[in-house]
Amino acid sequence: MAESRITKKDINKSMWIYYLGAELSNSYERLQSLVFCASMTPILKKLYSTDEELSAALKRHLVFFNTEGTFGAIIQGIVISMEEQKANGEPVADEAITGIKTGLMGPIAGMGDAIVWAAIMPIIISIFLPFASQGSAIGGIIPLILYPLITIAIAYGLIHNGYTLGKKSVMSLLHGGKMKSIIFTANVIGLTMMGALSASYVTISTPLTFSFEGGTEIVVQDILNTVAPGLLPLAAVFLIYMYLKKKGPNYNVILLSVVVISIITSLLGIL
Amino acid sequence: MSVMLLAVCMGVYYWFCRLRFGYTFSSMLLQPVVIGVFVGLLTGNMSDAMKIGAGLQLVYLGVTSTPGGNVPSDPALAGCIAIPLGVMAGMTPEVAIALAIPFGVLGVFVDQLRRSTNAIWVHMADRYAEKADVKGIMRAAFLYPALMGFLIRFPIVFAIDYFGVAAVEELIAVLPEWLMHSFEIMGGILPALGFAITLTVIGKKNLIPFFIIGFFAVMYLNLGTMAVAIFATCVALLLNLFQLKDEEVA
Repeated sequence: MAESRITKKDINKSMWIYYLGAELSNSYERLQSLVFCASMTPILKKLYSTDEELSAALKRHLVFFNTEGTFGAIIQGIVISMEEQKANGEPVADEAITGIKTGLMGPIAGMGDAIVWAAIMPIIISIFLPFASQGSAIGGIIPLILYPLITIAIAYGLIHNGYTLGKKSVMSLLHGGKMKSIIFTANVIGLTMMGALSASYVTISTPLTFSFEGGTEIVVQDILNTVAPGLLPLAAVFLIYMYLKKKGPNYNVILLSVVVISIITSLLGIL
Repeated sequence: MSVMLLAVCMGVYYWFCRLRFGYTFSSMLLQPVVIGVFVGLLTGNMSDAMKIGAGLQLVYLGVTSTPGGNVPSDPALAGCIAIPLGVMAGMTPEVAIALAIPFGVLGVFVDQLRRSTNAIWVHMADRYAEKADVKGIMRAAFLYPALMGFLIRFPIVFAIDYFGVAAVEELIAVLPEWLMHSFEIMGGILPALGFAITLTVIGKKNLIPFFIIGFFAVMYLNLGTMAVAIFATCVALLLNLFQLKDEEVA
C-alpha cells in the first residue's frame, strides 16, 4: 500500500467543516450534498493534483446526500479512505463511493437520530431544566456546553474509526449487539426522564365539586388522587401520543385543539 | 436597554442560531432555555427570562428531534419573540407560552423559504466544481446561505420585538379573567405535547413502562430529575447485563 498522504489534521479539518455546516446550506434539492462536498475539499485538494481530477472528485460529492450530522462522520471517514485508495491508483469506481454514501446514510441517520436527538439532547435539557424553571441561567448554559462537547467527541471518534477500519467497521457496527445495547440504554434513560418530567411539568387539575343535600360534598380531584396522583396529566400525554401514532405528526392540529379545549374548559369551569 | 437595541439583538440572535452554524451547537443555541439566558443578559432580568424559557422549552422538547431536519415547529422564533416580550411586558410564563405558539408555526414557513433559496447555492457549487474552484465551493456552503439567512430571519424578529412590547402590554390589560385562566390551562397541557412527541420519536412501544416508572417516581416518591437520571441509568445498564447473560447462555 502506498504511503498515506492524508494526515490526521486533514481528517479533523474535514470533520469540522461538516460539523459546522451540516445544516447551514441544507436545501430541499440536495440536502447536505453541498456541505459534504465542502468537507471533502481538504482531502481532495491533497489527493488530486490536476484540475480535471479535482473537478471530477468535487462533482462526485455534490450528489444528493443527507444523514445525521454526528454519526455521519463515520461515512466521511470511510469515503476519505476510499478517495485515498482511488487516488493511489486502486480500482475504486465512482459508483462504489457514491454507493457507500447512499447505502449508509439511511441506517446511520436512524442510529444518530435515536441516540443524538431522541436521547442525548432531551436527557441533557431535562436534567438541567429544574434550574431554568427556578430562574437560573445554569439551565441554559450547561446544556449549551455539554451537548456540543459530547456530540463532537462522538463525531471525532467515528470519523477516525471510519477512516482506519473502512466500510467493514460500519457493517460490524450496524449488525453488532453493541450498538443495539447503546440505543436500548439511551432509550430507557430517555423514557424514564420523560416520565419524570411529565409528572413535574404537565399540570392539569379540576376544580369540579358536587354538593349534595345534607352537606356531603364530592371533590372530583380528590377522588382522582385516591386512585393515583397525576391521572389527568398522564392521560393528556397518552391521548396526544395515541393521536400522533394514529394520525402522524399534525402538531398544529394538536396545538389548535389544546387552545380550543383550554378556552372551553375555562369557560365551563371544568379545569 | 432600549426596546430598539433589544429588538436588534434578538433579530441578530435569531439569524445566528437559525443559521445552524455548528451542527449540535446551534441546535442547542436555538432552544428556549438557551434563548432565555441571552434575553436574561440583555434585559437584566435573568429570573423571569429563564422561567419563560423553561416553560416554552417543555412545549418544544420533542420537536427538535424529528428525523430528516424538517422543523414541524420553530422553537427559536417562538423563543426570540415570546421571551423578550414576556419579560418586558411582565407576563406570566403561561401567557408568554400562549403568545409564542403562533410564531412557532410561522417559523416553519420561514425555514421552508430558507431551504428553497439554498438550492441556488448548490447550483452555484456545481459550476465551481466544474472549474475545480475549492474556495468557491466553501463560499457556496457557508457565506452565501449565511447572508441570505440574514435577509430572511432578521427583519421578522426585529419588527415584532420592536413594535410588539407596547402592543402586548395594551392587550394584556384588556384580557378578561376567563381567557387568562384558559392560558394557564394551556400552559399546563402543552408540555404534554412535547413529551408525547418525544415518546413517538423514541418509538419503542414495549419500553413505555419506563415512562410510567419515571412518572410515578416523581408523583409518589418526589424524586428530582437528577435522581431519576441516576436510577434510570443504573437500571438500563443492569438490564443490558442480564440481556447479555441470556445470549451467552443460549
